[in-house]
Amino acid sequence: MTARRRDLFLCLILAGFAALLPVVSGVRYTVTQTTFFFIWATVVVQWNLVFGIGGIFSLAQMALFAVGAYTAAMLGYYLGTSMFLAMPAGALLAVIFSVAVGLACLRLRGPYVALLTLCVAQVMYLMIVNDTDCFTNPPAGCMPLMGGVRGFSRFGDLGFRELLGPAFYIGHYYVGLAMLTLAMIASVVVIRSPMGLAFQALRDNPAYAAARGIDRFKYQLWIFGLSSFFTGLAGAFYAVNTGVVGPVVFSFSHLLFLLSMIIVGGVGTIWGPLVGALLLMFADEAMRELGDLRDIGMGLILVGCVVLMPRGVVGLLEDLARRRAAQPARNAPLPTKESA
Amino acid sequence: MSAEISPPLLSCRNVTKRFGSLVAIDDLSFDLPAGEILGIGGPNGAGKTTLFEVISGHNTASSGQILLEGRDVTRCSPVEMCHAGMARVFQLNTGFDSLSVRDNVRVAAYYGRRNRIVPGISMEPAVEEAVDAALRNVGLIGRDDCLTATLPVLDRKLLMLASALAMNPKLLLLDEPVGGLTHREIDDVAEVVRKIAATGVTVLLIEHVMRFLVQLSTRVLILHHGRKLYEGSAAGLASDPDVVEVYLGKGAGEHVAALTARDEQHVR
Repeated sequence: MTARRRDLFLCLILAGFAALLPVVSGVRYTVTQTTFFFIWATVVVQWNLVFGIGGIFSLAQMALFAVGAYTAAMLGYYLGTSMFLAMPAGALLAVIFSVAVGLACLRLRGPYVALLTLCVAQVMYLMIVNDTDCFTNPPAGCMPLMGGVRGFSRFGDLGFRELLGPAFYIGHYYVGLAMLTLAMIASVVVIRSPMGLAFQALRDNPAYAAARGIDRFKYQLWIFGLSSFFTGLAGAFYAVNTGVVGPVVFSFSHLLFLLSMIIVGGVGTIWGPLVGALLLMFADEAMRELGDLRDIGMGLILVGCVVLMPRGVVGLLEDLARRRAAQPARNAPLPTKESA
Repeated sequence: MSAEISPPLLSCRNVTKRFGSLVAIDDLSFDLPAGEILGIGGPNGAGKTTLFEVISGHNTASSGQILLEGRDVTRCSPVEMCHAGMARVFQLNTGFDSLSVRDNVRVAAYYGRRNRIVPGISMEPAVEEAVDAALRNVGLIGRDDCLTATLPVLDRKLLMLASALAMNPKLLLLDEPVGGLTHREIDDVAEVVRKIAATGVTVLLIEHVMRFLVQLSTRVLILHHGRKLYEGSAAGLASDPDVVEVYLGKGAGEHVAALTARDEQHVR
């Protein structure tokens, strides 16, 4: 499978270049912003598996992210668990949670899946925010079980502060880079494997897929499970990286920002989410000075992309490559071109 | 020959399918021995596609039994039917539109032959060989990378056939395989189906195009209001007053008579 090898190779090359950034540019702001890029890119690369490849319009991804973040923070805060253990624990709990959400979505299609998954996230948000009963009473004040409006802080980190002193953010940078690289490799392997083929078949035509031996029940659960591990891990790493976890992770505008990344980059393409995350984070950065106009600018970019390139940046490039490959094919019998 | 001892490949026993008060299939029984090509015809609404739905597991019979090689498969799911050796080709131009021709057939070859408990990381060479063979059989080899959505109608029909073949089926269900094709294309598809049948695959087909039905079927079943109106050779169709009355009409009846007469000449 040469296309897969090419994509994996590209992953490693890109990771290699990204690894040079803290060395080349020592600017702390650039490095920490890129670390956030790693986190959001991990989320959208995995979201793309459900939304783009599987064609399931799930908005549960931020809830899974929150499960990862809260699990890590709560384990660290209440039990003093090391973050090296708490982070994978958060990822695993996100997988279990995601499979449960997938089960609940089995009988639903299209926008109803979006509604149900959004409800799940909103219920979690409300349960956390409205809980005012004190679970513990530390000197800093009453602490509800899930942290309440305030959320958690001081639940531990990966030890880079002791190891690297003020340059601890560079340690986080490499953890983030490793996480995104693994998430991207996982995504390429899944998309370019028989499993990915089953997901795409179900997306294109579920009834026909059943007649070709693909059990929707089983593969829908697979897709929910597979796409959630790195999402939960990204949440847990977000907790460690920022040092704070609060209900703000459920913010709807943030969910839409991430969704826009997939749409701008190219829904259902391998590289689209990554490209989209990069483009939108640059755009967001460029419009930082504009205040309220920033949201309008983001909206304009999104609308422009949807109108001008409905398959996103990567989708557009793929279509162009396909067209170029198809032209000589009128005479030559064997066209070879990039496949999605 | 052990044909008399072993059960028929497919056997429908008193199959009835009701949608509320509408009886789409009414107490229908027939046997399909291995190696035959059974053609099903009948007016619109006769219950032909419903019969396919029930046989392929997309819908469940209200009563009656469907046996595949003597095993009761009445309540099996479409996925289980696949793995039991049944491949259905749909009436509409069904396909996985965003996938390439090759990936369409790969899906069938990988998932259609047996149940995959945990799918692997890559395709086995045997699967790729089956894909090649299926594409070659229908004449789509070399078009592997074409996007399915961009294929012309004939190629889409051939692709559906190829993916059904890749499942290595015992029984092939064809629902109007040549609807919307030209005369030449119809004969091309007929040739492909004949080749498939020659390899030992049993075929059950629905078709309105008499040119196709008559030249392929070893036996014909005409349905009307969910009941069997006629069962027998294609040659007998034109001389059956009920079939002419209900389905063919006088003009088409003569046309079918001419077709069957021509076929008999071919045989001799």
